[in-house]
Amino acid sequence: MTAQQLLRKIFLVDLFQGLRITFRYQPTKYICTEQYPQQRPKIAERYRGAPRLNTNPETGETLCNCCNLCALACPEGLIVVTSQRNEQTKRKELVSYTYDTSRCMFCGLCQDACASNAIELTQDFELATYTRAGQIWDRPVLEDGPRPTVYRC
Amino acid sequence: MADEKAPPPKPPAKPPAVMAATPWEGELPAALKERFGDQIRETSAYLGQPFVFAKSESIVDLLEYLKYEADFDYLVDITAVDWPKRAQRFDLIYILYSFARNERVRIKTQISEGSHPQSVVRVHATANWLEREIFDMFGIEFAGHPDLRRILMPEDWDGHPFRKDYGIVQQDAGWVQSNLKIESGQ
Amino acid sequence: MPDATFLDSTELVLNMGPQHPSTHGVLRVILELDGEKVLGADCVIGYLHRGVEKVAENRTYAQVNPYLDRLDYVAAVSNSLGYCLAVEKLLNVEAPPRAQAIRVILTELNRIASHLVWLGTHALDIGAITPVFYCFREREETLNIFEKYCGARLTTHAFRVGGLQYDLYDGFEQEVKAFCDMFLPKVDEYEELLTGNRIWVNRLKEVGILNGEDCKRYGVTGPVLRAAGVHWDLRKAQPYSGYEKYDFVIPIGQNGDTYDRYMVRMEEMRQAVRIIRQAVEGIPEGPIMAKGCKIIKPPVGEAYVSIEAPKGELGYYIVSDGSTTPYRVRVRPPSFINLQALDRMVRGGLIADVVAVIGTLDIVLGEVDR
Repeated sequence: MTAQQLLRKIFLVDLFQGLRITFRYQPTKYICTEQYPQQRPKIAERYRGAPRLNTNPETGETLCNCCNLCALACPEGLIVVTSQRNEQTKRKELVSYTYDTSRCMFCGLCQDACASNAIELTQDFELATYTRAGQIWDRPVLEDGPRPTVYRC
Repeated sequence: MADEKAPPPKPPAKPPAVMAATPWEGELPAALKERFGDQIRETSAYLGQPFVFAKSESIVDLLEYLKYEADFDYLVDITAVDWPKRAQRFDLIYILYSFARNERVRIKTQISEGSHPQSVVRVHATANWLEREIFDMFGIEFAGHPDLRRILMPEDWDGHPFRKDYGIVQQDAGWVQSNLKIESGQ
Repeated sequence: MPDATFLDSTELVLNMGPQHPSTHGVLRVILELDGEKVLGADCVIGYLHRGVEKVAENRTYAQVNPYLDRLDYVAAVSNSLGYCLAVEKLLNVEAPPRAQAIRVILTELNRIASHLVWLGTHALDIGAITPVFYCFREREETLNIFEKYCGARLTTHAFRVGGLQYDLYDGFEQEVKAFCDMFLPKVDEYEELLTGNRIWVNRLKEVGILNGEDCKRYGVTGPVLRAAGVHWDLRKAQPYSGYEKYDFVIPIGQNGDTYDRYMVRMEEMRQAVRIIRQAVEGIPEGPIMAKGCKIIKPPVGEAYVSIEAPKGELGYYIVSDGSTTPYRVRVRPPSFINLQALDRMVRGGLIADVVAVIGTLDIVLGEVDR
């Protein structure tokens, strides 16, 4: 072994090289702890989170036209859409819409299949409930949309 | 009146669709046919992927020939498909690859339930776990396998899950109750 | 495995149970030891078996796609790519060039993300606690890009049969380029931390040697095969999705030991950045979805298509019976077949080397068990 290699071995040069990198990250500007839940992270627009049934902003009516495509597209089969036919307008009207978030894998196939942009996966990721039954969302819960709890700082 | 009650005449039954395979020409299929004769039922290709349909007794010899004479030294996969309505219920498929030729070939064979195809472990060591998985999932026992036991399911599970008559939510109720102490896994 | 009784003083059967920080998932290894020397290792798997292949027989082709993200959950995009290529082969369509370029970019980002997890957890198992934080910090950047593109960080469901669902978001090219510029010096940083470090070298050199012949016998693919000296990468040998257009080098090792696998994967990360830079330069304009893929009903037939996933050769063998649901989807999992070689690699080594070898094989139990 050459003298240089021997010196590098005795004086632990390779170990100190690694330590130099670790100590380079010591300054406080590298700390990036997010104070959750006071600070919520910035979520992308296309994030596939909690589902929401969209309504027409002016009239307040649901955008769903009961085509059942979302229920057919879902791999888990957890969407149940019931509708009745309106005799005057000859169109289907939504009666109930049930979505089981306990089995949902948030794949987004329902929102891809929806022709009228009614079912949409929002940026809400806080879906914990206290009961199993609370995981099955029906139409009022879906139309309300995500309601993240606001915490006092 | 009688016409409304009578059901409309059924159209003549269409023959079941088969794979549109094209014959596979070349020196390798010719050499295989010459060497194995009637053990090979057909050599075809589908979508550019050649396959050889052989009888199940000749599989080990065929794989040995392909490994030592034709450079197909890498066994990519062994798998099985269950066709319950057929007399020979299972399709066994061996996929081989040759590094030298940069080609893949499939060897297909049909076996019936209860038959014991020969294990190819002594030709390709990869086949060890792959055949264990086929035994576990389909119930095909390989003769000459050094260590044939279940690999993915628990050791004492009853039933072979990938068979078509095994339900999608079916479980071995006895195993679940004795090992997990619950009524059912559903 | 012979049963060891308490009177037997030389051989010990040790259970490295399914719950273990270093087994990268629920893997159970039954080790037969003579003191610290390993005489044999038997893997018990199946703790994460979810029957994906059986589930796929009851879903339509488009509905199978999200389940396959959960196979190799660390690098979900590659699973989707392999499946989409296989179904496209059955349908005899090809994704348009824009979709292919975007697929390549996302797959290579995914390769970097997978190798970062490998590096962090492998180093953590060996005892180097620092790299895992740095690797996951860089991985965060790739996951942010995935989140902005397709809506999920880990189970991305990025591709569809025939092309892509989403077109690029505004700022994609800039973010990817910024990531590449940020990432290359970081790879040098990891190398500075680990490559010359005497502890690292002593733990990894001459450990878990698997030479080229054994690799081919056991069907081992991926970086393990390349570290053994075999020049083979599916992206060069049988290119798919436009890989023939990009210029990159395949790193090859010499000895087939753990250190060579480490060097091969580090270099693969650099080559992945090279491919991403080339792909992002010229993303062609055009449609992102091929025609005729609305209702997926391939003709009767079968196809086997495989891709170079970060872990090895990931193959899909799909049998179609002409209906909208596949008849059989077989996933050829690289981790399952690489894990077979564990017994061969740890025999004669020390028990601490078992941990190093499991880490270097880069297995993900989601793929082993499916």
